[in-house]
Amino acid sequence: MTLSREELAQMIDHTQLKPHAPPKKIKELCEEAIAYNFKAVCVNPSYVKLSSELLKDSEVLVCSVVGFPLGSIPSDVKAHETRRAVEDGAHEIDMVLNTGMFRAKEYDYCSDDVGAVVKAASPEAHVKVILETGYLTDEEIVKACQLCVEAGAAFVKTSTGFGPMGAFEDHVKLMRETVGPDIGVKAAGGIQNVRDALRMVNAGANRLGCSAGIAILEGLNWIKYSGGFMAEDIPCHECPSRAASMSKQPKEVYMYYKEKCRDCPYKEYNKFYE
Amino acid sequence: MSERARDRKEVKDMEYKGWMNKVLRIDLSSGAMDVEPLRFHEEYVGGRGLGVRYMAEEVMPQTEPLSPENKVMIATGPLTGTRAPTGGRFSVISRSPLTGTMCDSNSGGFFGAELKKAGYDAVIIEGESDKPVYLHIEDDKVELLDARDLWGKDFHETLAALKEKHEKHRVLGIGPAGENLVKVSAIMNDEDRAAGRGGLAAVLGSKKFKAIAVKGSKKVEIADPDGFDKTLKTVAKLVKKNGVTNNALPIFGTSVLVNIINAHGMFPTHNFQRGVFNDAEGISGEKIAETILTGKYACYGCPIACGRRTKTSNMEGEGPEYETTWAFGADLGINDLETVAEANYLCNQYGLDTISSGATIACAMELKEKGKLSSDEVPGFGEKEGLLALVKNMALRQGIGDELAEGSKIFAEKRGAPELAMQVKGMELPAYDPRGVQGMALSYATSNRGGCHMRAYMISPEILGQPVVLDRFSTEGKADVCIFLQNMSAFVDSVVMCRFTQFAFPLDYYSILLTNVTGKEYKPEDANKIGEKIWNLERLYNLSAGFTCEDDTLPPRFLNEELPEGGSRNRVVQLDKMLKEYYKLRGWDEKGIPTSQTMSRLGL
Repeated sequence: MTLSREELAQMIDHTQLKPHAPPKKIKELCEEAIAYNFKAVCVNPSYVKLSSELLKDSEVLVCSVVGFPLGSIPSDVKAHETRRAVEDGAHEIDMVLNTGMFRAKEYDYCSDDVGAVVKAASPEAHVKVILETGYLTDEEIVKACQLCVEAGAAFVKTSTGFGPMGAFEDHVKLMRETVGPDIGVKAAGGIQNVRDALRMVNAGANRLGCSAGIAILEGLNWIKYSGGFMAEDIPCHECPSRAASMSKQPKEVYMYYKEKCRDCPYKEYNKFYE
Repeated sequence: MSERARDRKEVKDMEYKGWMNKVLRIDLSSGAMDVEPLRFHEEYVGGRGLGVRYMAEEVMPQTEPLSPENKVMIATGPLTGTRAPTGGRFSVISRSPLTGTMCDSNSGGFFGAELKKAGYDAVIIEGESDKPVYLHIEDDKVELLDARDLWGKDFHETLAALKEKHEKHRVLGIGPAGENLVKVSAIMNDEDRAAGRGGLAAVLGSKKFKAIAVKGSKKVEIADPDGFDKTLKTVAKLVKKNGVTNNALPIFGTSVLVNIINAHGMFPTHNFQRGVFNDAEGISGEKIAETILTGKYACYGCPIACGRRTKTSNMEGEGPEYETTWAFGADLGINDLETVAEANYLCNQYGLDTISSGATIACAMELKEKGKLSSDEVPGFGEKEGLLALVKNMALRQGIGDELAEGSKIFAEKRGAPELAMQVKGMELPAYDPRGVQGMALSYATSNRGGCHMRAYMISPEILGQPVVLDRFSTEGKADVCIFLQNMSAFVDSVVMCRFTQFAFPLDYYSILLTNVTGKEYKPEDANKIGEKIWNLERLYNLSAGFTCEDDTLPPRFLNEELPEGGSRNRVVQLDKMLKEYYKLRGWDEKGIPTSQTMSRLGL
């Protein structure tokens, strides 16, 4: 897929979610978003009002995270957080799924959880649901996507950037296959450069959450000179199984990813020092 | 009046801005000094490109480097002396006495900007003086003065003497190493900045040319000041946004790489016998910051400020930078930061290239370890005693230092073990073991000036992930990226800006800055083509000088011996595959000679 600079910029949520970011960083973020014509800025709830004021004369949207980064607050608190963000000027809400309840198969609870946020956001804002794919198996990702769509989400999103895994092509592909063409898929977490970004887009993402948006756009100016910058990496570097971590994931999920390696056609590449 | 002077056109009003349109030519044999109109600049820009083009025009490739027939070009670029970030740099170009290749070496500090403001794009030094001289430039006033009282002084003493005589001047010069025709000598400027590689100070030494003191009061005109301001704001932001240029380099200096490269198992230790130095932490940028750092240093117009001012128990000075930390640290097995820093200070004082000096000593240490050298003057790996004396003796050509002064290739050949010299085309390799980073291996092997990391800094994509992360062990696509970075580097060296800006922004911005300053439109693809043209011209010069595809290789250690431990364990360089692809993509035949179609395409 060939993307222009403008098209790629319109896929990027220029993101600043660091807990230590002061207001001047948000001001910088908004200025950059205007200069590079990014689709949105993605900020913590306390900075929604500031961002909204700074961007009022631009076409850049304001996206607020909700229930971030763990997703484990009660649904009514998420709904309240959402209403406040919308009042402050948010056009988009990136909420975090309650992963613990989802893994306990409390699907009605999760559906209501997403539904409560969708209701609180409507009609001013639409909702993206962060699945935190690093806590889920492929089957659970599929189920979570279906649940979110049924509950009225406009997008499903891979990760918070604070969880055990960032965005992987495998997950994005699976999410796109599940939700179809009419629902958005946002890849977020660990997208550092233009190659990462284009891989996610090729896998089916139509929105990218990243703090390296400028480097990604400038990266287009690098890769036009050499196809070598886009050379294929060894498959393991792009595989979620390689990123699986016993210390960060539930044991069952960790084992699920590691067991995939056994039958993987690329297992010869899976060496410690690669 | 010389024939050249008779043919000279009047200096016309500048068609384009940015260039001063003047070249100062100094014939040391006759004492003649001419100011000529600048040539070749529209095609070759300045700095390295300009010098290479003048060399190709005026110095036969077979010229003996230390003969009067060789010339030294000191060239600024259109961005030198402007507000472009890092726009204070200049290049020195000549035929290298260390390698016999076309060689350019560039330096920062403030000298380049001052020379430009004095009204000159370049100075060409030719012939040979019968007594030591130095050049004094104060705008249009140019004089060649007696330097007999300076001859024998180290660079810092020379600097002090000239600064006393010529207030507020910037100084470039050579130390005793250059005077003694040491082939690993460095041209120094502004206290501790160096055009270090290739032994070009020896070329000046052979001409009995000690120094230049320059002061300028002119202004570099900008064709599009508003556009320039706008571009400056954009690139300043990109420098600020980049983790390397905004955090790593300003906070820890270039030695921030020590721990990173060591962790990848490619920090050359004991003359590249291993890739892991167990005491790396003790000589790292972090350790420098904790112990000997007294301040930071920024060159003219530089927002990065990677320079380190340091102080040990006995001495103070500038450095060590990453390559020096390695050359006098891990490569010699020395873990004492103060010793490493003091060896650096001595190199600056005597005018030695720290990379080649340290690497030549490392070669001697391995020869001694292998029983091929019995000198007591050469310490063993890990022994700091005697190191500083050895550095000094190299500069003064005393004792075994006289032999080490020839560089590792000749030294090891004389000992019957050429394979122990870690060099390419005669130039000592720097601080990245190529077995751990395949693209860098190709960059080393194909470098026009010899074993050098700056021709195409493949570490940037292969280790630092700038602009993208490439698999460092893969050969796929590396030839293509290496060629692009070689072209880009040749262009950036001609503009002239510091390579560290390459971390922060792509080629496009250099061409925009150049267009803003000169008023001549340079598209990004033009910039790439100019870089390619310079690269090919250097190649043609080297081929005429006798180099062949056989020289595009690495010491056998890298091709045959696996690294024994660490993050690059069991690796060797897979050069053949990459090299074939490289020649093909360059438009060269299987012997590495540019085809007629390539020459025609590039207008060579």
